[in-house]
This record gives sequence, C-alpha cells and structure tokens, in this order.
Amino acid sequence: MTTTPALLEVEEVGTPAPAGGPPTSGRRILTTVTKDKGAMLCVLFLATVVLMAVAAPLITKVSGWGPYEFDSAAINSDLGGVPHGALGGMSSEHWFGVEPQNGRDLFARIVYGARVSITISLSATLLTGILGVVLGMLAGFYRGWVDQAISRLMDFLMAFPALIFMIAILSSLPAGNRPVLLVVVISAFGWPYLARVIRGQTMTLANREFVEAARASGAKDSQVVFREILPNLRGSIVVMTTLAIPGFIGTEAGLSFLGVGVSPPTASWGQMIASSVSWYSVDPMFFAIPGAFLFLTVLSLTVLGDKIRTTIDQGEAT
Amino acid sequence: MLVGLVASAALALSACGGGATGAKGESNGPGGKAAQGGTLQVLANAAFSHLDPARGFDGGVNNFYRLIYRTLTTQGAAPGAEGTKIVPDLATDTGKPSDGGKTWTFTLKDGLFFETGAPITSADVKWGVSRAWDPELGIGSPYAKQLIEAPATYQGPYKSGELSTIETPDAKTIVFHLKKPFADFGSVVAQNTFTPVPTGQGAGNQLDSKPISSGPYKLAEYKPGASLKLVRNDKWDKKTDDVRTANPDAFQWTFGLDPATIDERMIAGQGTDANAIAGTIQAASVARIQTPQLKQRTMTGINGCTTYLGLNTTKKPLNDVKVRQAINLAVNKQTVRDADGGSALAEIATSIQPPTVAGRVDYDPYPSPDHKGDVDGARKLLTEAGFANGFTMTLDTRAQPKMQAMAVAIQQALEPLKVTVKINTIDTATYYEVIGTTSQQHDAAITGWCPDWPSGATFLPPLFDGRNITPKGNTNLSQLNDASVNAKIDEIAKLTDVQAANAAYGELDKQIMQLAPVVPLLYEKVLMLVGSNIAGAYLHDGFSGGIDLVSVGLKDAGK
Repeated sequence: MTTTPALLEVEEVGTPAPAGGPPTSGRRILTTVTKDKGAMLCVLFLATVVLMAVAAPLITKVSGWGPYEFDSAAINSDLGGVPHGALGGMSSEHWFGVEPQNGRDLFARIVYGARVSITISLSATLLTGILGVVLGMLAGFYRGWVDQAISRLMDFLMAFPALIFMIAILSSLPAGNRPVLLVVVISAFGWPYLARVIRGQTMTLANREFVEAARASGAKDSQVVFREILPNLRGSIVVMTTLAIPGFIGTEAGLSFLGVGVSPPTASWGQMIASSVSWYSVDPMFFAIPGAFLFLTVLSLTVLGDKIRTTIDQGEAT
Repeated sequence: MLVGLVASAALALSACGGGATGAKGESNGPGGKAAQGGTLQVLANAAFSHLDPARGFDGGVNNFYRLIYRTLTTQGAAPGAEGTKIVPDLATDTGKPSDGGKTWTFTLKDGLFFETGAPITSADVKWGVSRAWDPELGIGSPYAKQLIEAPATYQGPYKSGELSTIETPDAKTIVFHLKKPFADFGSVVAQNTFTPVPTGQGAGNQLDSKPISSGPYKLAEYKPGASLKLVRNDKWDKKTDDVRTANPDAFQWTFGLDPATIDERMIAGQGTDANAIAGTIQAASVARIQTPQLKQRTMTGINGCTTYLGLNTTKKPLNDVKVRQAINLAVNKQTVRDADGGSALAEIATSIQPPTVAGRVDYDPYPSPDHKGDVDGARKLLTEAGFANGFTMTLDTRAQPKMQAMAVAIQQALEPLKVTVKINTIDTATYYEVIGTTSQQHDAAITGWCPDWPSGATFLPPLFDGRNITPKGNTNLSQLNDASVNAKIDEIAKLTDVQAANAAYGELDKQIMQLAPVVPLLYEKVLMLVGSNIAGAYLHDGFSGGIDLVSVGLKDAGK
C-alpha cells in the first residue's frame, strides 16, 4: 500500500538503464499501448476516474445528490441506521446506494473521493518527481560534497519507517489544510527512492562519450544537464512516476483509513472503507463499492505502468 | 461527572438505565436469580482510568469500585429509583446532622476488615478522605474538597499531615465539619473518596497498581490495559453488607478489545463468552440483534446522561444570545441521533437535565417539527442579530467515528444558515483537558454530563454556575456567568426539602435554556447483550445504565 515498496521494486527489478540506443520515443509507447487490449481497458477506466475527479460538481448535479447532503429518509433510524432496501439502498435516486447512519449518496461520495485520490496522488507525484530528479541529478552530476550531503539526507529519510512517521506527524498536527499537508508529508518520504535511481543513472551518463563531447565543445554545466543527460533519463522518470501514482493513491487511502488523512466531511475512498468495516455484515455494498474503485484504480495504473516500462525496455529496435 | 463517562459508556460498563428488559423475577431472562460461584467475564474496550478511588471518577470505575471498595454510604442495588436510594454501607445509618447541617457524624459497623485482616477504623476512613486534598491524588470526585472545611493550604495527609476538621473521637466514630450546611451530605459520603485507606498507606501510585480492598473482592492479577482479575476477599463479611450479593467467585476483565470484536463475540456467545457481559453495542450491530434468541439476552435503558453541544459564550458571535438561540433552533437532532445509532441508541434531548434526574421537567425550549430543526426560525433570529450572511465557528470533536459523525451532522444542519462549522478533531485522551482549559477551547464542543447522583444539584451548578469557571479542568464549558442564574443556584442550595430543591432545579433548567448556553442533543441509551449464562443482571440508574456488578452472577456456576 505504501509508496516505498512500489518504488523499491521498480528499482530492483530493473530500471530501464539507458542502453546503447536512443531513448524510446513517445509515439512508439503510444502505439504499443493502444494495440494492447488489457492496457486499453486500464486507460479507459483511468479516464473515467479522472473524468469523475475533474467533473465532480457537474456529475453530482446530474445524479441529484451532493456528497455532503444527508438523506435521513433513506436509512432506518430504528435499526441503527441501515439503509432501506437491498444492496445498501441502491435505487433510481441513489445509484450506488447510501452511507449508513447519515444517508449520504454513495455515488456522489465516490466521485468526490476520486477527486481527492487523484489530486493528492498527482500532486505528490509531481512534487516527488521534481525533488527526486533535481536532487538526484545534482548528486550524480556534481559528486563530491554535494553528493555526500544529498546521499546522507536520502539515507536518513529512507531509514525512517515512513508510514508510522506519517501517521505520527499527521495526528499531532492541527487540522489546517489537510490535502496540502498530506501531499507534503507523502512527498517528503517518497522522493529519495526516485532520487537514488536518478543519481545512479546520472553518474553513468556523466561518463559517457557524448557528454564529454558536449563539454569539449564548450557547453556549460546546465546545458549538459538539461540537453544531454535529462533526455536520457526520460524513460526512468516516466516509469517510476507512473508506478508511483498507485502507491500514492494507496498511501492516501491508507492514511485516511487510519483516520489521519482528509478530515470529515471530505469524501475519501480510504475513509469510506474504514467506516464500512463495522457495517460489513449488514451492508456489504458500503465496503464493496469504494473497495472496488480503489482496487481497480491501483490495478489499472500498475498494469499500465508495467506496460510502459516493458515498451521502454525494449527500446527502438524491434 | 464528566463524560469520560460517555466515552466509556459506549465502551466499558457505565451508563444508567431504568426499565430494563429482562426485569428481575423472570427466571429465563438475564434478570433471574444468580447462582453462587463461577467466573464472570467482562469484555471491554477502554481500560480503567484509575484503581485508586481518590483518582478515579467516571461511570466505568464507579461501578467497578463497589466490588473492591466500600464507602460510608452507597447506592442501593435494584433497578430504577430503588437503586439510586442512598443506604448505609460502612456506616450504621446515612449520617446524623447537627449544628444546622454543618456537622455530620457517622458510626461504623462492627466486623469490618481490609483484605489484609486489619480492622477498618474511623482513622482509616479519615485518611482516605484526606487524600482528596492531595493535588496529585485528589483528581477524582470533587465533593469532599468542595464541602468539607479545610485550611486553604491543606494538601492532603502525605504533604500536610492531619486534617483537624475531620474528627475521630474513637475507632468507630467519624465527624465531618462542613464549610456550609449541606442537607444531602449522606449522599456525598457515597462518593469514591470516602473509601477507607489504611492509615499511612496509599502514597503515590500504590493504590493504582495494588488496591487495598474493603469490599467482597480483591485484586488477584492486573496487567494495565490488558486484563484484570478479582477473586473473593475472605475478610469481607456478608453479614455487614446489605447491598452486595457477590455471587461469582471471580471476575475477569479483558481490555483493549475492538468494539466490533466485542459485538461479534457477544452475538456468538461461544465458550466463556456465555458468561460474559460487555457494554453498549455499536450502531452497525443493532440490525443484527433482532432475532428472538438475541432479544432474550438484550438489555436496554436510558443511561441518565445528557450529550450536548456547549457554546462558548465568550467567543464572538456566540456571545449574542440570539445567535445561540438560532443554533438551538437550527440543529437537526434527528440526524445527530442517527449519527449516534438511531432511536435504539439514543433519545432526543430537549431539556438540559435527563429524564432520570428527580424533578426534571419535560419541555422543549426550541421546538421544531419532529426535532428536525427550524431553519427559517433560526434564519430570522440570525438576521435580527445581524448575521444574515452567516459566520464561521470551530467545533472541537473527539477523534472517534461516532463523535465525528455527530459533528458532521451539526455542520450540515447549520450550513443553510451560511454558518461554516470547522471541525477540529482532538485526540480522545487529551480532549477533556483541552476543552476544559479556557484558553484552549474553541467556539463549541460536543460533550456530555452525567449526574453524580440523580439530583439537579450535581447537574446544573457544575455546568452553569459562573463562579465555578476555572482556567483548567473547567466544567462550565459555555462559561456562562449570569448573576440571576448564580443567585438562583445559591437560593436552591439553601433549601432543606430535597424534593422542593429538585423541583426548583427543574425550573432553573428552563431559566438557563432561555439563555441558550448549550444545545441539548441526546439522552443516550444503553443497549447491551449479555451472555446466555448471565443472571441477576439489571441496569443501574446510578452507574449510567451499566449492569450493577455487585448483583450480577451466573445462572449455572458450573459452566
């Protein structure tokens, strides 16, 4: 569930080390993915989730219920608040049923939960990406004390049991702006894994002939970094960030499940799953629906990321 | 008494209850005659706060203390009003007042011994009571300190030595000198702080780890936070005790269990769980206990406490009475009740005092159709107060799903008035400290209050007497300091007829609600399953509806 295993695994299984040839072109990746049925299904599902996240207010206008509105008529107050009707109260009014005890529309909360998951994971990925690439390249390119300092910082952060520390930090801080806090905390522990890989590859690349050649022709450091080295890292960056997204979605869901993620009444898939645990025997749909969405989202991203990595590994040569 | 109660009410044994199903006399239900012997199991989530009687003061421990501690007087052992009557325990009667009620004399019975075999003397009772003044130990029941005269610098027997205002002319007599006449002092000496402690002992954490028992049971084994075992105290003489039947040979507590797990185990009732009792079930389990077999082992009743939303009158704009009245009108109490678990787990509260307090009047100061809230009426009041565009307020909540759900329900109800409620989640362990510190509390907080005994005297003054506001450990959360309310409280305290006083408190309830310092939300109920081998169980009104531990036992001690 956490970001760390996913990234570690990518590194160990074999990050696409820049092989002899030029980096795989974007067009090639695109054609390979569109030809694969499995990957296309993943893309379709992800597109739906992203659509839900982006157009949430519009969608809930169509469905008729907002994510925070209570519908006391949809639940049975005399029986502890179980939803009326089968399948957790699914009806033409409530497409996915309702939440027990307050009768909030589950469809609206899934849609807004998608918003939370996507926003937080994408922001965390962006922040992790920037931090990881910049610091990794600095460490790998300049070596010396810069490398020492950054590497020790990375060792320090990686030594922490990240999830436990995140829980501790998040529960001790006051409410504030939870989503921002979550992104910052997740990124703070996530960037070393990317940075370590980038650092290693930068060190290899910095010794290559084309870099020497560029230096010989008088290119400045920044030009070498951005024009020669960075393009060759493109593959690694794409793969690692794509595979990091599902990890971050899982981490956010996990933190919300434990109660230190987004605060109520904000909808989050992880928080819904946490509430659904005690209702499992009388209202299993309350667990099944957010659980299914979380599972399928993470699965789609992982499968897609895997496909992209394979394509990049194969390189341009057929 | 504060709602470490309501916290434990949902988890351990606490809460009061009248009208339990399975009433006494039914041989099939859990109220039938209990056999002697066997081990009674108790499944709990929250552990006991303290084993030291000077420190512990919540529904969970008050009930438990009766098994190992005896006090000068105690509550009865029966359902309903019979149970909350004060009867003699260590003393021969409920006290002899003299000097206009400023001096109280109690005589101890014969044949009273600690678990060590040492006799219980009046000096031991005096030692126990004096511990209430010790700043570290006396954090429980406040009545001894509030009522008994003592030098201002007195800090308990370990630091300041003897307290001269409690006299022990001989080993069987004890005399208390009070600050002011107090007609009901016989009820006060039923409080935990009036437990005898052998003279010289009980310093520091001694009693928290190894209580010195004066009751029918003594501590056999204690793993804090995990388990606790009581076995019979052979030095306790049943002939000296009219209250406790002490049926089981042993009690075994298991703490730290997940509430959902406790529900599962009680529903299944396998193995030793057939000999078990627990606390109120969760909302999710209500729908599962509707079968006839489970209904037979279900007990339900009111817990005798009020859950309310305290409004801090020192913060703007809550300092305007119209704003507070608007909030009272707007809150949709049905959704708050649903957040608590619906009609099976709570009644909607309209007055400050719950129905079990004597003299309480059943009225609704801010009525709305079906208690769903009157948004239009509220909007009118807000506009009159000048807040037609709403305002923002911070609501302190415990980090518990149930409390957060109630906070969200209130947030939703106030939203149409353009009142933005920010929910500030505070860890349960520090919650009461934070809201009780006047410099740290925010605009509103959801909390509860239970009467220490079912009289308005223990309900309204702690919550609404302006002179009771303290910077730390404050119970008057709304910080209400109204001269006429304070005067009325003093007036009622002078009444010698307890019935008249209770009726007067009922009227004071109405007077206070006109100022709307709080929004009474719910009177929570107790709904618990007991094991199939449980007998002698009934809900005791004095312990927030918890099953009276001194009467419960097993049907068949062999199992």
